[in-house]
Amino acid sequence: MKSPFAISTPVFTRPMLLMFVVLGTFPLWGTSVGLYNYLGVEIIIWIIYALGFNLLLGYTGLPSFGHGAYFGIGAYAYSLCQLNVFESVWAGILLGAFAGGVAAGLAACFLSHRRGIYFALMTIAFGQVFWFIAIKWHTLTGGEDGLLNVYRGTLSLGPVDVSLKSNEALFYFAFAVLVVITLLLWRIVHSPYGKALQAIRMSEMRAGFVGYNVWLMKWSVFTLSGVIAGLAGSIFAIAQESAYPDVMSLHASGFIVMMTLIGGGFVSFWGPVIGAIIFFVARDFLGSLTETWLLWYGLMFMAVMLFKPEGIAGVWQDFMKKQKAKSAATPTSQTPKNSVAGE
Amino acid sequence: MDVILNLLPHLVNGLALGLLFALIALGFMLIVGVMELINLAHGSLFALGAYFAMSIIDPNLSYFGSFGDWYSALPLALRYVVALALAPALVALVGMGLEICMRRTYGKKAEYGLLLTYGAALVIEETIRITWGSAEQVMPIPDAVSGAFFAGGMIYSNYRFYAAFFALFMIIVVWLFLEKTPYGATIKAGAHDSEMVRALGVNLTRLRLLVFGLGASLSGIAGIILTPIWGLRPHVGVDVVIPAFLIIVVGGIGSFWGAVIAGVMVGLVVAFSGAYVSEWSMMSMYLLLIVVVTFRTRGLFGKKSALEN
Amino acid sequence: MRNFTSKLMTGAATFAVVAAIATGSVPATAKPLLIGLTSDASGQYANSGASDRRGMLMAIEEFNAKGGVMGREIKTIHIDTETTPATGSRVAERMITREKVGFMIGAVSSGVANAISQVAQKYGVVYLNTNSSSPTESGKNCHRVKFVWDGNGKNFAQAAVQNAVNKYGKKWLLMTNDYVWGHNTSKATRQLAEAAGAKIIDEIMIPQGTRDFSSALLKIQQASPKVIAAAVGGDDQKAMRTQISQLDMGAKYAWINNQQDWPDVYGLPAKNLFGVFGTTWYYKFDLPGVEEFNAKYAKMYPDTKMKVPGNVFFNGYWATRSLLEAIEAAGTTENHAVIKQLENLRIPAATRMQHDDAFMNPNTHQMQQTIYLATANLASKDKDDMFQIVAHASPAAVNDASSNETCKLESMADTPKYTP
Repeated sequence: MKSPFAISTPVFTRPMLLMFVVLGTFPLWGTSVGLYNYLGVEIIIWIIYALGFNLLLGYTGLPSFGHGAYFGIGAYAYSLCQLNVFESVWAGILLGAFAGGVAAGLAACFLSHRRGIYFALMTIAFGQVFWFIAIKWHTLTGGEDGLLNVYRGTLSLGPVDVSLKSNEALFYFAFAVLVVITLLLWRIVHSPYGKALQAIRMSEMRAGFVGYNVWLMKWSVFTLSGVIAGLAGSIFAIAQESAYPDVMSLHASGFIVMMTLIGGGFVSFWGPVIGAIIFFVARDFLGSLTETWLLWYGLMFMAVMLFKPEGIAGVWQDFMKKQKAKSAATPTSQTPKNSVAGE
Repeated sequence: MDVILNLLPHLVNGLALGLLFALIALGFMLIVGVMELINLAHGSLFALGAYFAMSIIDPNLSYFGSFGDWYSALPLALRYVVALALAPALVALVGMGLEICMRRTYGKKAEYGLLLTYGAALVIEETIRITWGSAEQVMPIPDAVSGAFFAGGMIYSNYRFYAAFFALFMIIVVWLFLEKTPYGATIKAGAHDSEMVRALGVNLTRLRLLVFGLGASLSGIAGIILTPIWGLRPHVGVDVVIPAFLIIVVGGIGSFWGAVIAGVMVGLVVAFSGAYVSEWSMMSMYLLLIVVVTFRTRGLFGKKSALEN
Repeated sequence: MRNFTSKLMTGAATFAVVAAIATGSVPATAKPLLIGLTSDASGQYANSGASDRRGMLMAIEEFNAKGGVMGREIKTIHIDTETTPATGSRVAERMITREKVGFMIGAVSSGVANAISQVAQKYGVVYLNTNSSSPTESGKNCHRVKFVWDGNGKNFAQAAVQNAVNKYGKKWLLMTNDYVWGHNTSKATRQLAEAAGAKIIDEIMIPQGTRDFSSALLKIQQASPKVIAAAVGGDDQKAMRTQISQLDMGAKYAWINNQQDWPDVYGLPAKNLFGVFGTTWYYKFDLPGVEEFNAKYAKMYPDTKMKVPGNVFFNGYWATRSLLEAIEAAGTTENHAVIKQLENLRIPAATRMQHDDAFMNPNTHQMQQTIYLATANLASKDKDDMFQIVAHASPAAVNDASSNETCKLESMADTPKYTP
């Protein structure tokens, strides 16, 4: 029985539909604006990864600087499944997600008692340990060469089989996964569980007083974001037809933090989406334009943090607020005060 | 007896290495301790210090005519001392510039400041690459501290011991500065309670500028001392940030001697693992961190810090 | 739905074509040939990548000066591969699907080369791996579209090891970078050394990213070997060299190093260059054509800090030149024809400025060439003249036999046709 006063969370919202429409039609317009399908695939993968990551960073306020490990483990699990067990895309990505979750769950056992900088440092330490194992255990992982020749398989959808060989087909598959993950995460952050995560971000102590099992909450959200990272990683292995240790390095783990922040993960569910798009398009564009692209890239980060640390989503929200003030519409904000804004 | 004789060189080596690690962490520690800010540009400032010093020791002075000839004719040791004084000062200026940018992020989430310093790290590294090129270079050192000596049938590098003693000297200087001067007292007070310091009429803005400048110059000094061992290339600083970070956390944030002891511990762990289980020598410091922080929430001697929230 | 989609796509395509015509990018005469340069511009191998690229550009410049290849002007596009395999894949995808390059050239890191070659194989684009010396490149990770131009770890070991056992002694110690390249190289060295009667007393593993070698160097002193064979690469090697020279340990033991790339050592004190090491070319060779080659380099790159060309430049230049010559010989840019030409490539020693004829191994796609052993030229007054060549070995003498077994090239039928 639903309380008549409860604000129900809609399954779909306008920004969500906008994202689905814009991204879902990418193969139709991407090339005409100078992009290419493979880039679209990577962007979708990183959006999935970033959305899962933001559950941790933006919603729970837990900075993980070693998340590349779980992404990479997902890629390895997928590749090992294809190369050594059996060739099935579904089995591969399920295994990838599972492996990412197991590794993250293991690390989270040590991490969940920690806070702030100590938490951050421990995530780095675990990230480095996993990365080190990936390089060291070369009989399993292929060492620094990685696992190669993981050919793109065929996706069995009941009666029909779809080959993922073309970037276009792979794009639509990744996009379908993104849709599922988005709907799922949207439900989660608006569930009581999601509210509890945000309470932990506000104050761990208070969340404990209210009766939440803070340790379990932190453990579960870390593991969940590891599952999503592993899932994204396994799709990355499909796209690259290989699994490399580099994505597990500290350097690559930093990327996901940057994407999430630059997009505005602290103030919006959609921040990581914007961030991943900007991150990749800017990198691709600058990288082909100049050899000193890192300089411009660094300046871009500095500029965002100097002028709008809430990221692109923050700029958008300010803009919308002004628009609202102008039109003086009825002020019925559905956003609870202390949550990451839903729009 | 043989075992001890075999272990001794590694013990000596580990202690020397540990002092160098502590030196690497010094500038980082000051900024974290006082400003509760993780300075990811630490490594780039480290590299910048070394490049400045190299240019001061061995400059291209063709534009300066007779002054250039006169300067180049000075003994290397003298030019080295000039560099050791001047290069950190230049890095301090860069650090202060960065602090002025940082001001906009004060009072906001720690991650924002972190990302700003990351951006700065990229910009500084790329600027080094544009200015000095990406090739490996050599940091000149005076003859007095180069070469090698024999002890107990083993060869040791003079420079390594000079560097370790210099590190020890810097540790003491910084400690004396913090403990025995009025500036140090203010800085320490600022680390504990910035509101209180402000209430006491201290100009907090200037204090932060000073601390950041000082921290940056210490990063630069570490660069000048370490690069003759590690080699000099634009991305040399990448190898510095994580050890520095790790040492601070093992030692406990806000604890001076905690950081020094942690540095020595890391040095010993790296030296012994390098000698006996060499394939684990890179990983050993991370395992040390996991062990320490698993059992001691705030590292060895950490105090409560805003960075925990 | 399908109909709608295809209509939309036709629309987009029409739009793109109209836009292209409007901006005048469709040429009136022969279509230029676009070549993608995939060398690293940041990361560990940035400096070598730049040298590699200069070599490619000089070869392209020579062809453009005489009217291009088959009357087509050669254009290039360069994208940084960041010394990162994952970026290599993306760059290759972009170059092929968006830029529509005809061929791709360039690599120093073998990981990046693997990533690029896998994408290249998928589309059938011929790719030249100019400068990575990992034996796996022409072994288990070989591809029909990939051609490897550098000597590899096994070639260098063959050239150096036997000689060193006879000359310096039988008590050997190995220093091995703890990753695949290091393991492969050390394994080859171990086999050759033991076959020649040497005894390996210890193998010290050096994890990737090691900056401090003091404990390893103490360990070596305690073990006191006669010969140390070091398979340490990249930045690790640079740090190691500095620290060994500080201890004056370079002269105390006989050091056998793998290849020393010219951009990695250029400008450093000769003291840092201890022991014997491999290379494929040196600018002071007393061979016809070398002087003209150096002069051309100096003329084309007057502002470069590196005043003379080195082995990385040489490989970049020759790979590119051989590709363009193969296109002309084939009379087409069609990939299968070009691959066949390259597989039968044979270049006389006099043309290639080496001591033996060089030829492509059709089974592994690795260029078989003379391997040189060098040591530091301590007596030299000229600071560019850093090497002293001590020996050279013919391609047959340094043949990497094992890659003939491990390399399984895709069949021509499995390689898609591609005509740029």
